[in-house]
Amino acid sequence: MQLTDTQKAILDGQRGKAPRKALELIVRYAKVLGAGQLCRVTWADLFCGAHHYLDVVESDDPDRIFGTMSLCTDDDVALASMHSGCICYSGVEVDCTEVPEKMLAGSGRQAKNRAMLSRFVDTGVVLSGTCVPYLLGFIPLAGEHFVSCESSAVLFINSLWAACGNGDGIEASFCAAVCGYTPLWGLHLPENRKATHVVGIRSQPESVHDWDVLGHAVGRQLPPMAVPILTGEFPRPDAIRLKAFFSSLACAAGTEICHIEGITPEAATIGQVLGGRHENGRLCVDRSDAADSVSRLNGQPRDRIDYISLGCPHYHIDELRRIAELLDGRRIHADTRVHIWTAGPFKHMADRCGYTATIEKAGAHLLTGSCPSTRGYPPGVRTAAYDSAKQRMSAAQETDARLYYGSLEQCLQTAVSGVWEGC
Amino acid sequence: METIVIHGRGALGGVAEGPALISRRTITGWGGVDIRTGIVKEPGHPLEGLGLRNSILILEGSRGSNGWSIFFHAAQVAGCGPAALVFPRLDSRTAVTAAVLNVPLVTDLDADPFDLIKVGDRVRVDGDRGLVEVVGTTMD
Repeated sequence: MQLTDTQKAILDGQRGKAPRKALELIVRYAKVLGAGQLCRVTWADLFCGAHHYLDVVESDDPDRIFGTMSLCTDDDVALASMHSGCICYSGVEVDCTEVPEKMLAGSGRQAKNRAMLSRFVDTGVVLSGTCVPYLLGFIPLAGEHFVSCESSAVLFINSLWAACGNGDGIEASFCAAVCGYTPLWGLHLPENRKATHVVGIRSQPESVHDWDVLGHAVGRQLPPMAVPILTGEFPRPDAIRLKAFFSSLACAAGTEICHIEGITPEAATIGQVLGGRHENGRLCVDRSDAADSVSRLNGQPRDRIDYISLGCPHYHIDELRRIAELLDGRRIHADTRVHIWTAGPFKHMADRCGYTATIEKAGAHLLTGSCPSTRGYPPGVRTAAYDSAKQRMSAAQETDARLYYGSLEQCLQTAVSGVWEGC
Repeated sequence: METIVIHGRGALGGVAEGPALISRRTITGWGGVDIRTGIVKEPGHPLEGLGLRNSILILEGSRGSNGWSIFFHAAQVAGCGPAALVFPRLDSRTAVTAAVLNVPLVTDLDADPFDLIKVGDRVRVDGDRGLVEVVGTTMD
């Protein structure tokens, strides 16, 4: 491996023990990949707080937990700060940390979570509390190298902004933020960003739900590590539709970059995005594929719905505006609990605009910072519904409840009637 | 019986032997593994109910969440991690998992392990020489 003098100095411990341990992990990661060099990381979207998987470390000391689970060392390592040239976000939190009385977690986890987040703030991490950092100031520009623990954010930022990031993992993202480097491999290299699969879209996606379904329909046909280019006659999607599309595509296939002809910056034309090579495969997605996806995600008989979780990825303020319109003057069924998830800054906007008051008056709850995947489920949930294919797919591992999937409108109609109103 | 040996790139050194935990269909990392026991808990997965502990974990790749590595890592910290890893090709998430677990790893294989190795077969992984060898079948 070619290491620069600066990198060698870090490995010699000249910048402290934590950067040395972080870079050791990054160098091992590079060797595993066969990467010859590292590149500078300037943005890091991390995964901070007392997440449940950290419970395997039998300690409440944030430095001990960080050392074992992020720097991958048993040594005593106290982190002074993240790399000064890297802007760090904290990512999705374990629960509704901003409003402790709404947390499901007991007082022990709450205290541990506060201590860990406070420790991260001391090291320079911003408490973003969201899975949509790209809507809240996390803006790596084209050609910049970033890391993110959120798969849909990696796909969004690679595809729409032409910044460079791989899926990596939570440990490698932390180590990159501490030492400032990641392996120059995969989507950090221009030649690996060219399309490998041409995907003809014939399902006429229009609504946010159509695009959410499309991500699943494309994803379940794509091989691992494919780089798709979408082509076809369909209405131009906006960022909110693509937020839904990328999240379900990332979850269904692990896709990390997806070009769209004439829309994403590296795909003005099919010729440009193929880079003079032939594609490895072609596939086509039509209305029957989309219907099949909905059917696969929603195979259960019509039933009463105990719990509806909306806002995966976290809703944009305009989605909250729309929900407030749809719920204005209506009343959620007494036996159905509705959680609507967004980021703290959007909740602040929604408070000012009166959307929160309208949503809460209808009987739904507007929550921030987390989601059922990190927070868990309220007790007694027997049936659960979602407007996100990603959340629906993740829920299969997280709850024994029967699971339903439909559009936002279907979920809100269900919230009012108490009985599943989708397909 | 003809010895089955698959050649590849030894990406992390060392030698380990154990029962194969093998599936062409990968495990969903986030929530697919019980962190305290290392038991696969993804509903309907071919390996559901089997444990990672001291196994030779052979999967096609990762899927979905960027939290893929941390669940295998947590299981290792809990004393229930795999003894070695085999991935036919690497993606960034499987590579991070290997770097974090720091156990023998062979990748870039010259044959399809899913056609040649069954769950429970005794497999030796030589990360120094880039070899995956079946040393005993489930029938033994």
